Amino acid sequence: MIGLWHYLAVAAILFGIGLVGFLTRRNLITMFLCAEMMLQGVAINFAAFSHFHGNLSGQVFVLFIVAVAACEAGLALALILVLYRRGKSLDVSVWQDLRETGVPPNVDTEPLPPAPAEEPDPKLPAVGRPPVREAAHV
Amino acid sequence: MTLFATNSDLSAVGQLVLATALAAAGVFLLLPRPRGRSVPGGIAALIACVVVASAWFHDTFGKPYQDWLGEALFTLFSSGAVGFGVMLVVQRNPARGAIAFAFVILSTCGLFLLLAAPFLMAATIIIYAGAIVVTFLFVLMLSATGAQSDENDRSREPMLGVLAGFAFIGLVLFALDQSKQSVAATERPSPLPSALVTPDERAKLLDAVEKLQAFEADSFYQTGPKQPRVEAATRVETLLDDTIGLHAAKIEAHAKYGSIHERLAAFRTDRGSDDHLKRVEAARANGAKTLALVEAGIGNPAKAEAAKAAVAKYRGDLLLLAGANELPARNAANLGFLLYSQHLLAIELAGTLLLVATIGAIAIAHRKREITPTGNS
Repeated sequence: MIGLWHYLAVAAILFGIGLVGFLTRRNLITMFLCAEMMLQGVAINFAAFSHFHGNLSGQVFVLFIVAVAACEAGLALALILVLYRRGKSLDVSVWQDLRETGVPPNVDTEPLPPAPAEEPDPKLPAVGRPPVREAAHV
Repeated sequence: MTLFATNSDLSAVGQLVLATALAAAGVFLLLPRPRGRSVPGGIAALIACVVVASAWFHDTFGKPYQDWLGEALFTLFSSGAVGFGVMLVVQRNPARGAIAFAFVILSTCGLFLLLAAPFLMAATIIIYAGAIVVTFLFVLMLSATGAQSDENDRSREPMLGVLAGFAFIGLVLFALDQSKQSVAATERPSPLPSALVTPDERAKLLDAVEKLQAFEADSFYQTGPKQPRVEAATRVETLLDDTIGLHAAKIEAHAKYGSIHERLAAFRTDRGSDDHLKRVEAARANGAKTLALVEAGIGNPAKAEAAKAAVAKYRGDLLLLAGANELPARNAANLGFLLYSQHLLAIELAGTLLLVATIGAIAIAHRKREITPTGNS
């Protein structure tokens, strides 16, 4: 029998995975998607409580969450666009000058592996007899 | 700490800790880094985590399955949400991440449907479909395709981030597990509210409804000996007493132990569960009256009509009671009523917020043109 317990567990797991993604990834767009996933976890919580209380207020909360998430999506994408124009990159570490005072900067020590060289286009070997132009019949 | 054997508390906690640790190790190995990323190792750790978690699930909840379809759907949607969530986090390519996020949303919508929220499901799909398509366009526009880049191939403090996130997950699951076990030990009603009507009670109520239907036929009141018909009515009365009486007793026990559910009920203004209580009480009171009418109507055509009408009404009440869990009855209409009666200010504010956010997004993203002395841009 699936009870409230199970929905709360799934919601907590979604929230936690989103938290991991938000903390560790450096791509602005991926971080944004992870934050949205955390919101989904919270929405499942609300819907589950709504269902098991027999009370629609939880679903109303989820509607407001969706509205705020829509606002957030618009603003976040506009900000990402502006940051990309200034920094020419989606990396958040480009903006680490904004960090708290006294925190050491994040320096990437490991070099990225070199991109694999593109394979040249294949060339067909010459096979067979070269065609012989026959003298035109008169 | 045996994985499959016992039901002891310690073993359950051990399995939980092991599953969380395996999941953390798997995600840590899969997070993109220039060195030390191991896709086969990470996937192996995640599979081991799934095995341990299902062993724990089976130990804790391996009771006879009552509602196998619901459980199968729940397992499908929840594992979909969690699995695609992990894919979103560990995926190097943000475009594939956006696709994984779309599947997370679809799985969540499935869970919403199981939670009797069809309107939320539709709204979430419509809104997030748009959001995901726009995100996708941004990915295509902004990220360099194929090449290695700082933002996609490096992680910020992968060890600390994974520890923080999975410590959170493990602690929440542990707390939920403890609440369940303490409840089982003291035999008090769970602090988490259970369904208003359990499937068992629902089946009994529907059975009673079916039996009541016989009392609406004309033939029941007209012909044949009286005694077996009176006995039939008495049987139904006993059945109803068993079902509704036990249900009411359960609710009273809930109130006595002062669970969160009941204590909260005192503070709520819109009282879904209080309505339910009233409905149960009314059904209890009406049952005896209706069946008395039926007994009076047997062999007495003058009273038969009144009895039939009473039975029809009572049957409707019982059906409503049996369907108390099924919120989607007019879900959108009820949600709209609630929004515009009790949350009017909040919804106006949400609308204003959307408008301000739209204007703000345009103002932020607008590229100001530099005006040259000639007047052209």
